[in-house]
Amino acid sequence: MSELLTDDEKVEIIKKWWRDNGMAVIVGILIGLGAIFGWRAWVGHQDRVRENANLTFEELLVFLNREDEESAQSAEKAAKRLTKKYKRTPYAALTHLAIAQMRLNEDDPKGAIAALRTAAKQAPAPGLSQLAALRLARLLIAQQDFNSATKVIDRYDDGGAFSADFTALRGDIAAAKNRPDEARAAWQQALDNGASGLHLLELKLDNLSLAADS
Amino acid sequence: MLQEIRERAQGWVAWAIVILISIPFALWGIQSYLGSGSDPTVASVNGIKITERELTRNVQYTRMQLRERLGSAYNAELFGGAALRERVLNQMIEQRLVLDTAHRIGLRVSDEVIRAAILAEPMFQRNGVFDRASYERVLQLQGLTPNAYEHNLREHLLSNQLERAVQATALITDHELQQSIRWQHQQRELRYVQLQRDDYLPTEPPSESAVRAFYDAHQTAFQTPEQVRLAYIHLSAAELARDTVDEETLRARYAQQQDQFTTPEQRTIRHILLKVPTDADDAQRETIRQELAELRERILEGEDFAEFAAEYSEDTVSAADGGAIGSLERGQLDPAFDQVAFELAVGELSEPVRTRFGYHLIEVTAISGGELSPFEDVRDQLAMDSDASGAEGMFFELAEQLANLAYETPDSLIPAAETLGLEVQVSDWLDRSGQGAEAELAHPRIFAAAFSPDVLERGQNSELLEPESQQLEALVLRVEDHRPSAVKPFDEVREEIVEQLQEQAAAKAALAAAEAMVAQLQQGATWAEIDETLTVQEPGLVERSAHELPPVMLTHAFQLPHPHNGVPRYGAVAAPNGDAFVVAVAAVVDGVVDALDADDQQLERQMLTATMARHETEQLLAAFMAAATIERKLVATSSDDE
Repeated sequence: MSELLTDDEKVEIIKKWWRDNGMAVIVGILIGLGAIFGWRAWVGHQDRVRENANLTFEELLVFLNREDEESAQSAEKAAKRLTKKYKRTPYAALTHLAIAQMRLNEDDPKGAIAALRTAAKQAPAPGLSQLAALRLARLLIAQQDFNSATKVIDRYDDGGAFSADFTALRGDIAAAKNRPDEARAAWQQALDNGASGLHLLELKLDNLSLAADS
Repeated sequence: MLQEIRERAQGWVAWAIVILISIPFALWGIQSYLGSGSDPTVASVNGIKITERELTRNVQYTRMQLRERLGSAYNAELFGGAALRERVLNQMIEQRLVLDTAHRIGLRVSDEVIRAAILAEPMFQRNGVFDRASYERVLQLQGLTPNAYEHNLREHLLSNQLERAVQATALITDHELQQSIRWQHQQRELRYVQLQRDDYLPTEPPSESAVRAFYDAHQTAFQTPEQVRLAYIHLSAAELARDTVDEETLRARYAQQQDQFTTPEQRTIRHILLKVPTDADDAQRETIRQELAELRERILEGEDFAEFAAEYSEDTVSAADGGAIGSLERGQLDPAFDQVAFELAVGELSEPVRTRFGYHLIEVTAISGGELSPFEDVRDQLAMDSDASGAEGMFFELAEQLANLAYETPDSLIPAAETLGLEVQVSDWLDRSGQGAEAELAHPRIFAAAFSPDVLERGQNSELLEPESQQLEALVLRVEDHRPSAVKPFDEVREEIVEQLQEQAAAKAALAAAEAMVAQLQQGATWAEIDETLTVQEPGLVERSAHELPPVMLTHAFQLPHPHNGVPRYGAVAAPNGDAFVVAVAAVVDGVVDALDADDQQLERQMLTATMARHETEQLLAAFMAAATIERKLVATSSDDE
């Protein structure tokens, strides 16, 4: 149809279209730009928050392995800030790992267990929740709470990395419940599958009293 | 219509289009459109690419480091090509993965942390304080801008954050600590018998068919390596110097510089030390001196120095060795000790000598050195020194001519030798290892060249080789004769096989005998009932770490079940050399936590924690690996071979 119209008429049509829709186009572009700039501002803000969290976390790491009273207090303070103010950053979960250690040093295994439960739940990366769960299960075993330990192991052992370590803990539980054959099988399996870095495991195997044999 | 568009294009339509196009550039920059170009990718980790160029650069860097660290032991062949590339690539993949994971889960590095890290870096400090000028100079030396350095540092701090967090928060429960102490410090009461393999050698030689079968099954073990005889022209500045300097001048110089050619005197010394506490008063010191003087009297009366050292000396390291501290030069010890030790005659016993450690009795058991090297031994060195520049110039000139001549006639060394008046030498048969090679050939670079395709397969002269650039030696070689790798004929190795088979049979018999003894012992027989001639070793209660006992036996003893109702446990085990052991565990005594003081317990805990942390870090990396998408593209080894 365009062949039937003169150029002036075409211009007229465009102008009419613009009168009808111009507003919508401009608003659309503005919303679009707003969204883009808004998003970038949000990302920038988040980066700043995380950077601040990183600073606090590095402080925590410095104080963590010192033994004086003052460092312990500073560590508590940093940990509190990380779990309150920065609880939406990945540093919060890592902080719970540190809190567990602090509690254990204070001879408060219950507190340590609670911290590790949170760490396992909030862990931001693959493997980190398994790592926290392993520590948790070890603490539970040390507390003789074998049922809870078994639950934790069953829930977090996904057959991937750390699986050998979970198997080793199953062996620990079996040994504690006086099922040496099961324990030996589990420990041997763990050693064969990558828990070989742990000398303690070999010691355990060597000193398992042999029910079947005696 | 077209006309119209062209006119309008000058106007607002054009502007609108330009503005629309420029928005994305303004927001995302131009880089994302340019991309990394045509550089081929060798691997990608979660979509992050590792390019051929990056890999090549890292391989070269690693090789440079290896060369620096290993010096002349560096073997280009060993670190060439595919294996090194593979290793470097794996490292890079790991680094990218850890960095990407850290970034992905939202870890960041604060500017403050970067600043603190820079301020704390000892490289940038002067007198223990950060120094701007040093910082800039160090960066310049590394060819980095501050921005690039900070970027690298940020990546480094970001990628090791998780690892540091895992290690700093690692924990060991009291329960685990107790277990570890209980078993690590466990003692077991042992008795054992060692059955010598050679007592079980079969009287009959193995059958001919068994020998033959062994030969057929182990062909690779009887292979001779590929060998060459090398013809070579060797050029050395030292030899050139020898021919250019006259004898008399050298003798005169030798006379002048005698002390340079005197080897330092070395004395083999032993001592007995009684320590004096730093806060001791005069009376205490005197008592200790008296004590030592008494020991001295007794030794003079004929008692044994070494036994006394073992018993009384508080220098525990040398005490174990009869007091011997080895052979020393003047100035390596405490001055007071030194003075006395270098005045004593051989076999003379010193009075008590006071040093900052305490009182020593010193005896010199041997003196060596202190002699002038004969003229003949140092002649070359003298010649080099006296006419270094002349010989050096000649060396470089000849080396250049040699390189050219050997290149121009690639299929013979004779023209080069005749023109330059040098001699073509021929080596023995040599294999790649270079064992037994003449001194001037004994260098990995020489062997790399001798077995390179140009020289070995195409029969050409090598290029001019300078194994150690500072030594002013050069060499051109070619392969005179070549013997490919071959399996040694049966008759040549027959004896060797017979011996091996006999030994195998003996080892088997020894273990069988040990196992039979175990069975008898378990039935209640005593050692003497089994065989009166057995020598039963009784080391008593020992720990896992009892290094003086045969390791195989010890390991086995600690793996045996605990004795039950006072009945010992028995086990048989074979040693790598074919001997067999019968071992009995009569009692097990667990380590006691309270026997360790608080410091030792703490140490034990730290060691356990460190092991645990390392293990956790490894497993975590494995978890990252499992969760990532990693692609490797096989690229033919290429340009990075020098």
